Amino acid sequence: MTSAEPLDKTVLELKDVRASYGNIEALKGVSLTVQAGEIIALLGANGAGKSSALKVTTGLLPPTGGSVRFSGRETKGERTERLVKRGLVMVPEGRRIFPALTVKENLLMGAYFRKDKQEIRRDQEWLLDLFPALASRAGQDGGTLSGGEQQMLAIARGLMGRPILLLLDEPSLGLAPKIIRGIFQTIGEINRTRGTAILLVEQNARLALTASARAYIMTTGRITAEGPSKELLENEEVKKAYLGG
Amino acid sequence: MPEKDGKDPTGAPLRRPREKGRGKKILLSILRPLKAGLWLSLVAFPLVTFKFEAETRQAHFLPERIPLLLLICFGAAVAFDGLGWLKKAFGPGKRAGGILESPPEGLNRPRLSWVNRLLKSRFFKPASGVLLIFLAVLPFISSPYGVNVYITALIYITLGLGLNIVVGVSGLLNLGYVAFYAVGAYTYAILNAQFGLSFWVCLPLGALSATLLGFILGLPLLRVSGDYLAIVTLGFGEITRLVLTNIAITNGPRGIANIPPPSLFGFDLNQSVKPFLLKLGLIHSRTDLDKVLIYLIILMAAILTVAAVHRLENSRLGRAWLALREDETACQAVGVNRAGAKLTAFTLGSTWAGLAGVVFASQISFINPQSFTFMQSVMILSIVVLGGMGSIPGVVCGAVILILLPEYLRFFADYRMLLFGLLMVVMMVFRPEGLIKSARYQHIYRAPKAGEGDPSDSASGK
Ligand SMILES: Nc1ncnc2c1ncn2[C@@H]1O[C@H](COP(=O)(O)OP(=O)(O)OP(=O)(O)O)[C@@H](O)[C@H]1O
Ligand SMILES: [Mg+2]
Repeated sequence: MTSAEPLDKTVLELKDVRASYGNIEALKGVSLTVQAGEIIALLGANGAGKSSALKVTTGLLPPTGGSVRFSGRETKGERTERLVKRGLVMVPEGRRIFPALTVKENLLMGAYFRKDKQEIRRDQEWLLDLFPALASRAGQDGGTLSGGEQQMLAIARGLMGRPILLLLDEPSLGLAPKIIRGIFQTIGEINRTRGTAILLVEQNARLALTASARAYIMTTGRITAEGPSKELLENEEVKKAYLGG
Repeated sequence: MPEKDGKDPTGAPLRRPREKGRGKKILLSILRPLKAGLWLSLVAFPLVTFKFEAETRQAHFLPERIPLLLLICFGAAVAFDGLGWLKKAFGPGKRAGGILESPPEGLNRPRLSWVNRLLKSRFFKPASGVLLIFLAVLPFISSPYGVNVYITALIYITLGLGLNIVVGVSGLLNLGYVAFYAVGAYTYAILNAQFGLSFWVCLPLGALSATLLGFILGLPLLRVSGDYLAIVTLGFGEITRLVLTNIAITNGPRGIANIPPPSLFGFDLNQSVKPFLLKLGLIHSRTDLDKVLIYLIILMAAILTVAAVHRLENSRLGRAWLALREDETACQAVGVNRAGAKLTAFTLGSTWAGLAGVVFASQISFINPQSFTFMQSVMILSIVVLGGMGSIPGVVCGAVILILLPEYLRFFADYRMLLFGLLMVVMMVFRPEGLIKSARYQHIYRAPKAGEGDPSDSASGK
């Protein structure tokens, strides 16, 4: 970034972040940045620490070192619900919608901290428009949705919080290619029309690299490669390790 | 899919644990109930082998009870372990107990049970109107004994609905709920005895003091969760009873007598109003107007509670409680303050117990610590579990069944607790969702009508 005031455009900045579960060190110094309105991919094999990086970002896992800045402010010690209010929303791994709440109620939970009833209604309508599969099931319990519908609901629920930065943890997990394409199309659309920055954690590297502008690759708790997604798609090593040759 | 290949670290060692685990499994299945039995005996030891004389304030040690204690505890542990097997063999499948499977493709319309359908039908309003009139007239045409029983049933409906917020909706197992009931009752008894405050002043004060206590207690309590919460609340209930037994203002184990019934605009109903109504032929000569008034008050309170709990359940906060019960991490991810939401559930649940306590004190006019034992907590919890966690009609039915049935089946009175226990175990195994399932948990599917969205074509985007 050659901009005169880079701080204003940086939404998220992780600097040498470390974190562990007991004596397992999951993050051994992770640095990454997300600029306003960007789609960034975070790739890596199982257990590389991608989810842990998101957990540290949202305050669900306390870092043991380094710093996390969100929209210009250090998040140290800030509770998750405060960060959500500031516009940092995570769609956790494995969907985790609320099965006993209806689709509409799930969406309302996403707007839990908001008080602007009118706007909440409008956002609800917008999202049901964006995901027609949900619209026809608006009154149905979340637990009765199919896997793909649950993922859409999880994303829609996240968007109800009007995030500045949306963290998506493996949205393609366990879904059919056709549904994945639909979801990725929608993610791109949200980014374009709303300017929401997106940090996309994926194992489906090809898809994520196609959808994103820049990407980071993680191996066992460290960032081992980064760059524009187009370049990474062409990179021989990346091809071999993550794109199936 | 074209992503990375066979580097899966979990691929190789999958087969090993099974072969090695067989002997260990059998050993575990023997050790597990033994361990549980040991724990149970340790916990129950002081309760069973010490007898506390309230009058002389002396404790007696009864070693001859130890064999019985061990027998019961280990027997119960083994029986409970066997239940797991029973449940697997005969119980409802994964559907129950909150684990939800995705519906089979194409079947996605939940069907409501008949009670919940009735509640949603157009007959509901006229039917509830008729029911209300009937309930309002009931005390005038019933015997004083009957009125007393109905008051008790209504008190327990209120208690059940209050505890339902805590246990049923929010999933916080509170085994010391009776403490808040006691605080309500004692608030009225003490304020009346010491300062002459009337029922009407004490009704909100009783509810308030129970609420306050719930808040103060909830603050540290809600740091623990699950089974620990159950044990701590159980302990708290017992501590409250012991405090009531041992301080001066409650008059210790002798309790407080002559608690007046509520008055209406300062009239003594049985002295001044009754002859008048008798002359008009509106009431029976045996009718106790004080009790009728209490009945009407608790009826109103119960109806208000139903309305309030219904509103709460469908409010922002109620949704958060339900969501919290299901997935705490997902709740955090959408910005719910977990501790705060739990604390409000715990606190608001206590309010109803305080309210019911005041009415209870005015009903029986004499309270002592023995009115507020652990058995009361068990009773209220049984109502919630039997009726259906999180289900308002369920809790109402549970209270009616558990309070009215024993009254009319006097024969069983001595074995009541034993029957409760048995009933709870049977319910947990065969119908964990309660008699009337909460409308939220009705995942029985039927085919969608023609023309509704095709589930296979559910990709998004425009
Ligand atoms: N709750 C936890 N307790 C202990 N260790 C954990 C926990 N969560 C993750 N770990 C460990 O931390 C490391 C990184 O896990 P993480 O979930 O961040 O990986 P990931 O890159 O998201 O993997 P995946 O692609 O499989 O989701 C792993 O070694 C994992 O075993
Ligand atoms: Mg992960």
